[in-house]
Amino acid sequence: MTSSTLTPTLPDTRTRLKVTAAHGSPALLSLVAMVVIFSIAVANQPGILSIPGLTLMLMSAVPLVLATQAQMLIMSVGDIDLGIGYLVGFVTVIAATLLQTSPFVGILVLGTIVIAYAALGLIIQKRNVPSIIVTLGMSFVWLGLGLQFLPTPGGEAPAWLAAIGRWRPDWVPAPLVFILIATLVGWLIVRRSRLGTRMRALGSSPATLEKLGWSLTRTRVLTYLIAAGLIIAAGLMLASQTRSGDINSASNFTLMTIAAVILGGGNFSGGRALPLGATLGAVTLGLITVLLSLINLSSSLQSAAQGLIVLAVLAGRVITERAIRS
Amino acid sequence: MTTSAPNTAVSYPSPSVVAQPTIRATAVSKHYGNTHALNGIDLEVLSGEILGLVGHNGAGKSTLMRVLAGRERADAGTVRFRDLPGGHAWTGPSAEAAGVRMVHQELALCSDLTVTENAWLSDRRKSGGFGWRRRAERRIVDVLDAVFPGHGIAVIKRAGDLPMAQRQMVEIARALCTETLRLLILDEPTESLGVDTAGQLYAHLRTLTQRGVSVLLISHRMHEVIAHSDRIAVMKDGRVVSVTDAQVTEDELLVAMGGEVRPDAATLDRVVSAEAAGASGDSASRSGTLVAAVANSGGTQFEARSGEIIGLAGLAGQGQEELLQKLWAAGTFSRGTQVSRHRAYVPGDRQTSGILPLWSVAENLTIAASRVISRFGIVSTRRKRELADHWVSALKVLGGAHAPITALSGGNQQKVLIARAFAADAKLVLLDDPFRGVDVATKNELYALMKAEAALGRSIVWYSTENKEMAHCDRVYVFRAGRVVSELRGFTITEERIIADSFDDRTGEIR
Repeated sequence: MTSSTLTPTLPDTRTRLKVTAAHGSPALLSLVAMVVIFSIAVANQPGILSIPGLTLMLMSAVPLVLATQAQMLIMSVGDIDLGIGYLVGFVTVIAATLLQTSPFVGILVLGTIVIAYAALGLIIQKRNVPSIIVTLGMSFVWLGLGLQFLPTPGGEAPAWLAAIGRWRPDWVPAPLVFILIATLVGWLIVRRSRLGTRMRALGSSPATLEKLGWSLTRTRVLTYLIAAGLIIAAGLMLASQTRSGDINSASNFTLMTIAAVILGGGNFSGGRALPLGATLGAVTLGLITVLLSLINLSSSLQSAAQGLIVLAVLAGRVITERAIRS
Repeated sequence: MTTSAPNTAVSYPSPSVVAQPTIRATAVSKHYGNTHALNGIDLEVLSGEILGLVGHNGAGKSTLMRVLAGRERADAGTVRFRDLPGGHAWTGPSAEAAGVRMVHQELALCSDLTVTENAWLSDRRKSGGFGWRRRAERRIVDVLDAVFPGHGIAVIKRAGDLPMAQRQMVEIARALCTETLRLLILDEPTESLGVDTAGQLYAHLRTLTQRGVSVLLISHRMHEVIAHSDRIAVMKDGRVVSVTDAQVTEDELLVAMGGEVRPDAATLDRVVSAEAAGASGDSASRSGTLVAAVANSGGTQFEARSGEIIGLAGLAGQGQEELLQKLWAAGTFSRGTQVSRHRAYVPGDRQTSGILPLWSVAENLTIAASRVISRFGIVSTRRKRELADHWVSALKVLGGAHAPITALSGGNQQKVLIARAFAADAKLVLLDDPFRGVDVATKNELYALMKAEAALGRSIVWYSTENKEMAHCDRVYVFRAGRVVSELRGFTITEERIIADSFDDRTGEIR
């Protein structure tokens, strides 16, 4: 524009790396925790360090990672979804019943879920109802519907879904592939796409976004729509692994996804979204469960131990963040 | 497009008759409830001129700006933009499309988004599919480079991680990220900027006006308005009371605004305090008990005694806020800091950390004063009401004690925040540049209040970016690069001295 500045001061690669690292630093502790837990598990059971071992170890994390990416999207606009657990369970129920018996109706029901989520976003935006209330209410709807379709765990997932679950390449652990794809999808949506920028702006400062002429409703509805897609993917992946349907199979996902997002550097107030961090958080939580059963901790104590580890990591995150800031 | 030729658009120093108005407001009125914010405004901004707009807080400047930018509809009167037909509704989108851009006084960046993303959000140009991020990055960097050469802003950083001055620069730059700029409305654009960057901004505004862009400059910094405007409009009580060319003096503008002539008052104050200092010498200030002290390795030790108003001066962002933060957050475990237990803090950023937006004026005012209005942990409603009424009437807060705080104008909100600090029974009151965007009359009231409160034995630590204000202080610490570099007292507190001390003696510039 002017002759005084010949080269624009675009940030150089070093600055880029530094800033990216600083932005992602809240997820660092989750990474450390994951490595530590993994190392302990390997020390206990060296057999893990093989393709089948890793597959077994990471398998349970796949649906959780997908659901966590969905939770991350919803948390990035400043909301929280308390219905994720039962919705994932409900999707497994649909997969094991309708999707098997009459695939067309099954797909229709899944489509209805997506539309229902868009409606949730609309209600939350237009009527200014806290998302916690709406999604908590919906979680009972999912539970009731699930019990109606399949009162006891059972059913059978369609063959194509079971085939995905059976896919075991011998060169890479299959769950790792799914986890990476899920993370990439989350990253593309929330960090790379223009919609993702608007999502985080909505979580950060809705007034600003509105003043600049963007539709808050559109942004929120689209966020919920995409999140619903990811939750359905999570449910289908879970059904492909268990090959049956169970409304209660993922009831602990609700709080685990929130914990995973927070572990991975997210926050409750919205505006931030770290897809890689969220995945690290989800994998860490998944690994904790595996590790605790590996070291033969009594199953009644597992939840308590899991909670304590999460608390320790979160406390560590607070401390490191303070250290980085000062 | 009926763009006037750049040469005719340059109308310096007085507006030429040929310059056509970019925007013209005719008999514009606007009221909120009982408050008449605008009372029949007639104003036009000519093509290629900088029109300065000054006035008290509550004079209606912000409202007028929002009406001109299409953010709010006027109740009566019309706003006409150059080539738009008369019956055209003047709304936000149509103003945007016509090339009106506005830089807010309350910084409105999404703090969680990067500078680039923030710029993209406000950029109406097509950004294409893939690679939109690179293009947006390039656009904002180009503008930053053009307006603020050597700005040193990494555009991939989150806006919230930038210091105030850089955020302000980004805010200005992103308003300029457009191809169709016709009218730029700036609301207190230099409040957070240093002298150099403000100079860069004004230089750039001149290049814009040469291309026929009109600029509406709203500022409380009279000398800047006088130095850089072609014409100056003075507002008072929702009316434009005079439009003059830029040959006026600060005093004339102040009189037109209905204010008192400040320099006299300042001189008077200084003489009085100098006399007081001369009469009793150092013993006067030493007589107060030590309220706060901060050890400063290598620099001057910071001290605050009861009854003192202490100024923190220097260029913006040189460590003054950090000192306030240190004094405010000091606990048992902080080393080198010794501070009174009862203290109050007035933040500079009233929207984010000052007001409690859902509460009334009275509740906002008394929230910190629980020690005064409660007994055994129970708040006395009567004493709370009395305390609120006392301060509301003492500071003439327009709207009264029961109005919602958000219904007040910025200046009145700031009064409430300052009253809150004094209503709390605090020995040490910390002010973090509290007069950003506050009008002269309010400032004078608050200066008087501060003096009165200091006389009652409080200690006030006051950070301000306005060097003139420092004349009201008993002592001034000048900051540079995070350290106290000099301590001024009595009649040595002058603007020239503060500016001289603010710059590095050897290199003559900061960083």
